[in-house]
Amino acid sequence: MRRKYFTVTAWIALLMLVFAGTVLAADTIKVGVVGPRTGPAAATGKSFEEGIKLALDYVNAQGGVLGKPLEVVFEDTAGAPDKAASGFERLVIRNNVVMVLGESHSSAALAQIEVANRLKIPFIVAEAWADPITAKNYKYVFRAGPSNSGVVNETVAKWVMHENFKKAFIVAENTDWGLGIAESTKAALDKAGVEYDFLITERQSQDHYTELARIKAFDPDVVLAYIYGSGLHFFVAQAGETRLTPKAIILDGAGPPSLWPDYWKNVGDYGDKECFVSSMHEKVELTELATYFREAYVKAFDQQPTDYKSRSIFDAVLIAADAINRAGSTDADRLVDALRATELLVTRGTVKFGTTLGGPEYHHWMPPMLIVQWQNQEQVVLYPTEGATGKLSR
Amino acid sequence: MFPLAVTNGLVMGVIYALAALGVSLVVGIMRVINFAHGELFILAGYFSYLFAITLGWHFLPAMIMAVLLVFCLGLLIESTLIRPTYGHEMYSLILTFILSIVLQNAYLLIFGPYPQKPPAWISGSTHVLGLFYYGNQRLAALLAGTLIIAAVFSVLKFTWFGKILRAASQDREMAQFNGVNTTRLNMLSFGLGCALAGTAGVILAPVFPVTPSAGVHVALTAFVIVVLGGMGSMWGCVIGGLILGLVENLGAAFVSTGYKHIFGFMILILVLLIRPAGLFGRKEI
Amino acid sequence: MSTRNKSLIVLAIAGVFGLLPLGLDDYRLHVLVICLNYAILAASWNLVAGYTGQVSFAHAAFAGVGAYTSGMLAVHLGFNPWLGIVIGTAVAGLAGFLIGVLCLRMGGIYLSLTTLGFSQILHIVITNEYEITRGTMGLQVPALMSVYSKTAYFYIMLAALIVTLLIIHRIIYSNTGLNFRAVQNDETAAAALGVNVVRVRVMAFTVSSALAGMAGGLFGHYLLLITPQIPSLDQQFLVLAMTVIGGMGSFIGPVIGAFMLNILAEYIRAYGEYHVLVFGLVALLMARFFPHGVVGLFKGKR
Repeated sequence: MRRKYFTVTAWIALLMLVFAGTVLAADTIKVGVVGPRTGPAAATGKSFEEGIKLALDYVNAQGGVLGKPLEVVFEDTAGAPDKAASGFERLVIRNNVVMVLGESHSSAALAQIEVANRLKIPFIVAEAWADPITAKNYKYVFRAGPSNSGVVNETVAKWVMHENFKKAFIVAENTDWGLGIAESTKAALDKAGVEYDFLITERQSQDHYTELARIKAFDPDVVLAYIYGSGLHFFVAQAGETRLTPKAIILDGAGPPSLWPDYWKNVGDYGDKECFVSSMHEKVELTELATYFREAYVKAFDQQPTDYKSRSIFDAVLIAADAINRAGSTDADRLVDALRATELLVTRGTVKFGTTLGGPEYHHWMPPMLIVQWQNQEQVVLYPTEGATGKLSR
Repeated sequence: MFPLAVTNGLVMGVIYALAALGVSLVVGIMRVINFAHGELFILAGYFSYLFAITLGWHFLPAMIMAVLLVFCLGLLIESTLIRPTYGHEMYSLILTFILSIVLQNAYLLIFGPYPQKPPAWISGSTHVLGLFYYGNQRLAALLAGTLIIAAVFSVLKFTWFGKILRAASQDREMAQFNGVNTTRLNMLSFGLGCALAGTAGVILAPVFPVTPSAGVHVALTAFVIVVLGGMGSMWGCVIGGLILGLVENLGAAFVSTGYKHIFGFMILILVLLIRPAGLFGRKEI
Repeated sequence: MSTRNKSLIVLAIAGVFGLLPLGLDDYRLHVLVICLNYAILAASWNLVAGYTGQVSFAHAAFAGVGAYTSGMLAVHLGFNPWLGIVIGTAVAGLAGFLIGVLCLRMGGIYLSLTTLGFSQILHIVITNEYEITRGTMGLQVPALMSVYSKTAYFYIMLAALIVTLLIIHRIIYSNTGLNFRAVQNDETAAAALGVNVVRVRVMAFTVSSALAGMAGGLFGHYLLLITPQIPSLDQQFLVLAMTVIGGMGSFIGPVIGAFMLNILAEYIRAYGEYHVLVFGLVALLMARFFPHGVVGLFKGKR
């Protein structure tokens, strides 16, 4: 009898002890990064890691933030909104970060901005494109990266018109990003007078034959494929099998899938002549910091940088460090004020966050994007023409 | 659109039927449902990828070796996990379900989340009947699948081993009285069931690369086919598989691509409501 | 153990739990809320699996039914979340009743397959009808209180768990419970003695699914985000693993399993997302060698 009393109490005590744990105090300033370290977009997580490393080297070599070293805690969100929300919260409550950066999935980011708003922590979105992220005009949310309307209006639509495509087919994945960018594209194509049709697909889908039959029947000049997953690989491969290409040109509206290590393996020869969106190319260096980034990357990782998301997070960390230093404190509201006043040179240009309320331009800085084509397994920049290294090849 | 959907349906139907044969075999002889069936299908795909790409073997020995390994794994699973629970249906269900999840996560850890594609046996595409272009690898899969199914049927019908299987499936006790070592038969049939899953896996993997969780859909489809065709009936598997493949693809083409996988489950519910024994099944369960 | 001593222990534990929020930070409270949620799910799943011997794979799906019903009512029709949760519980119970009637006649493998099929259908429908459910993007729902407070949620979930346990206790230690055990031990004998096997199972299944729906609804409004992850096979597995490891067929086993595994998951998280694999391996070992779980080990049986 007494033994059972004792054992039960002992269990509870043990559980609580085990649960208690200690908090390690370290003298650094912590910033959180959220992104897909696991899951289908884990390659993006890897590029984030690379960018973070280079950014920390850079920032800490210049004295860190507020006299202390900057530390990054990278929380995995796997592109899932529920993991993203809890990951964000964990960074703030458990790791005591002063700011959170990153994310490359729109649905995850949309869940996270709610948490940022609730916990009043500044959040700089790096590579989640859906318009509502900044269109919601949350005070603590900033975006130092592309937005759907930005990408469409500044790059994709202009390129379609530049190449004189008359008929387009929009294929979008059923996510916040896919549906959002499809809507922006439709609006832009309407304005440009380009005829189009539209269908919805799954990010990870492997069988596109039925969809391709429909697309082929429409006979488009260009297929705008907004699929941020390996589904894109199969789409391109099967488009080749069903002879949709090379007559039609496929544009990967996300970018990274065309650069993932298994792209050529999955796509084979059909991957040639495919176009994709990117904000980086070895021959196009917009600022001296971009040159620095490339050289540092080669030195650290022994290869050329290819996935532009590594540079995005690099920029984001620099923006964060700059804001903390200018704010002179880690108080959230002071940080927000400092961010609003940002005028910083990064790898993609000079960062200035918009201040117009009412739309996605609020707290948004749109970096320039490029259209790149695979030609004989080489990346050739097609658009914008000022930075082009070649022409569209069919 | 229609001929393309029908062709797709036949290809998938044959592969599903092959996977379902494995399930049916095990259910007929052991009255056990192996929830990890899909994971073994996938494992064979991973192995053939490993041997062909990482070790550089020719695709044929890679495939054969992959199936062999899965067969051995099936023997192992039967002897360690299934045999001790014989008679306790619920436990083998739970054990194989847990095994399925463990394997999925193990694959994630070992092979990563990206689809892995063993090399195609044949590349390019064919202009089928002048109507549409169809990937050659898919056509090859259709051919291979049909051949293997024919082989399985021949073994069942014409060999001594096949006779034992049929006997044990019909009446286990009688078979035992007639000298069949049911313990070893259990082990062999489970292994064979897994090998059939593996065969379907290596045939389909070059078309639809394997991912850690791709097996779930395969297993569920196989179960639906077994219920539809009737537990323990081989012909039921083939007919059921073809029906399911066609319904899925025609549904995807003409109704909705998103709801493609639901047709199978709707069929399952319908069968359970109207005729639980399935098309060719025995009346008792 | 005498009833008096049992009650004292229960009171002691209740007291400790009641005072926990005073000493713990928001993050630990968060972990506890998750533990409580899984405890409710595991205990209710155990009612059907452990006590009537039917393995249902639709438990997470019923939680999803509760969560999405409540969530959609709140978002699209402006219902008060509390009302939404009550309705969600009822809908989940109804779904459980219908499915129970459909396949509990045949039992065993057919029940497992049907529940598996149901959970997959639900998952597909939720993902495809993203216009109303927001599919994989997640449905953002209001909180249960005007000012978000983890402490308040902790007490709400604790109350829900207590209610769940009371209901299950009532069922098990009643005539119906006796019927369960009779059916589980020897179905034919029980039927011969006049026990309406199917009715008993359907009743248990309905209660179990209603409780799951309640848990789903509460948890959804706690996370403020409802995603198809809630009615997923992964969640079903976690519930199953917790019950198996804790002790299937025992009263307190699932609760212990839920707490143990979730607290453990927090520690494993430091090394990466391996906790599902670890739980799977442990569950496999337990199911194979120690079918009575941790509780069984504790009581000295195998």
